[in-house]
Amino acid sequence: MEARQILRPFCSLTSTVIRTTRRCQSTTSRTKKALKIRPDVSFLTPNSEDHIIFNPPSSAPSVYHTPFKFLPKSDPRRQANLTHLLRTSDLHNAPLPPPAGKLAEIKPRSNVTKEEVEEMRQLRNENPAKWSVVRLAEKFQCTKLFVMMCCQASDEHWKSERERLEAIKARWGPMRTNAREERQKRKKMLARGEL
Amino acid sequence: MKRVRLERLSSQLLAAPPARTISASRFASRAPRASTSSPRLRTTACLQIRCQSTTVSPDLIYEDEFIQEDPEEVDPRTLPLPSPPPSRAQYSAKLAALHARLSLSPRLPLETLARALIDPSADSNTKFNNTNLAYLGASLLQYHTSEFLVTRYPRLPLAITFAAMKGYAGPEVLQRVARAWGVEAAAAPGEEVDPGYLQFDPLRPTVEMKKGGYVRAESAEIARFKWRRGMSSRVTYDNAFGEMVPGQASVSNMHMAAVSNEHNEREKILRDAAQNAHANFVRAVVGAIYLHCGRENAKSFVKSHFLSRTLDLSNLFEFKVPTRELARLCAREDFEAPVARLESETGRMSRTPVFVVGIYSGKDKLGEGAGSSLDEARVIAAQNALKSWYLYSPGEVALPSDTFAEDAAPWKPVYIDIGEIIS
Repeated sequence: MEARQILRPFCSLTSTVIRTTRRCQSTTSRTKKALKIRPDVSFLTPNSEDHIIFNPPSSAPSVYHTPFKFLPKSDPRRQANLTHLLRTSDLHNAPLPPPAGKLAEIKPRSNVTKEEVEEMRQLRNENPAKWSVVRLAEKFQCTKLFVMMCCQASDEHWKSERERLEAIKARWGPMRTNAREERQKRKKMLARGEL
Repeated sequence: MKRVRLERLSSQLLAAPPARTISASRFASRAPRASTSSPRLRTTACLQIRCQSTTVSPDLIYEDEFIQEDPEEVDPRTLPLPSPPPSRAQYSAKLAALHARLSLSPRLPLETLARALIDPSADSNTKFNNTNLAYLGASLLQYHTSEFLVTRYPRLPLAITFAAMKGYAGPEVLQRVARAWGVEAAAAPGEEVDPGYLQFDPLRPTVEMKKGGYVRAESAEIARFKWRRGMSSRVTYDNAFGEMVPGQASVSNMHMAAVSNEHNEREKILRDAAQNAHANFVRAVVGAIYLHCGRENAKSFVKSHFLSRTLDLSNLFEFKVPTRELARLCAREDFEAPVARLESETGRMSRTPVFVVGIYSGKDKLGEGAGSSLDEARVIAAQNALKSWYLYSPGEVALPSDTFAEDAAPWKPVYIDIGEIIS
């Protein structure tokens, strides 16, 4: 206690160091407590009624069942299913489920004019830090891919951006680095359909 | 896919093998000396009659005198044969059991089955080993596999077709089939070994079945610098599995002659001689059935032993940007743009959430996927939609080889797709 009281004045001098240090949950009990999350409502069994829990859930549709839209014009199944579809048209008119996430709502404008492309290039050349790809995409209502197809930032900007990224990466500890690597691995597994 | 000229393949193989020359490989090991000092020795080797042979040539005694003249030369007739003689095939219980186990026709003699078990590394004489039979069998296997894949899955991308070809008729699979047939390898090949064993020697040169394809001019650079090989060039240049045909060392490698010599020597020895021998045996059996029992029997044999194996084609796919590819597909086929819709979810704020996302084009569902995040589920759903596009199958359709029969129905063209999606 005494030592701490003595050191207190010095703490104000090294305030920057103290501000950056954070309290971590390094003990077992703290970690356990943090991970104790109440399950979602859908997981809880209601007392009143009997019901079935499908675990694992009912199987996903097979990719070998070609959707009606993917059948070629010459396929006999197309004719056979057409009558069935017409008969159950009420079922077909049922409201569709809501779009998932924000990505479904993006409607990029596809008619950027030649003058606008020139303007885009000029802005990017003048101040690449201010007019980033994201900001240009917002301004001209087009995709980021289109902006990157139109403009090329200068080498200095590339270099400074890369240095900035390296500096950020250098600050990562082993846990964060590891987590990033794991994420890349999961991405590859997802592409191969292993997740 | 490679095409087989069936009628031209087999005529020379059914002719009775003439008397066998003594182990050509034994002479091959001394080939340089023989070629420089005495050309006579070569002729003796070629004309030498095999001991078991019933035919007797009047030249035999004359030729023997020449052999006796050379003090270093041992009488080849006293040397053991490199592989069991065909006459012993009738007395081998193992061979009869294998014949019965495969339900082969009695028209296929045990001697041919015994010949199919002799690898070129055991007996380099092509009249007694399985090289010719295996070549014929490889052609048939690849032909029937490729026509099955192309007609059954007409939209399959080329890379997947190559992988599926390897999954049905590749050397690894053929080795497994041979193991499943209960074929065992002899510890060492020789005259005294039971003819029911697979005869091969991992330390001796053998023949690898390189059916189809050409050596590329830049093959050494591709191997060394990992140059890119386009998919469509593989149809012309590479073998049936889309693998490059290995070529000679290129000019750019010449300055490293010492290093590359060692490297080439190492490459000459096969990585997996056992696999090569087992695969060649299986191919040779297919070739033998074609020769002795006919085309239809060979086809049904291939169908029942290879094409009936389970291969999940949906596991062979790997997509880079499935969502973009699906959007390109919908644009190409004049469908409405695909939209990801959340069908059901559970445990959103918990540690183990599950989202079920469906990809819709207009009111039609194209694919569905479940994942632990919205983005993951969307990607899986797009992948499933693409897989169901590529794995479209018109069902049981007539194969081109069906029209070979005399009373075949007229050929009805099968569905041909315009090609894979380019995104």
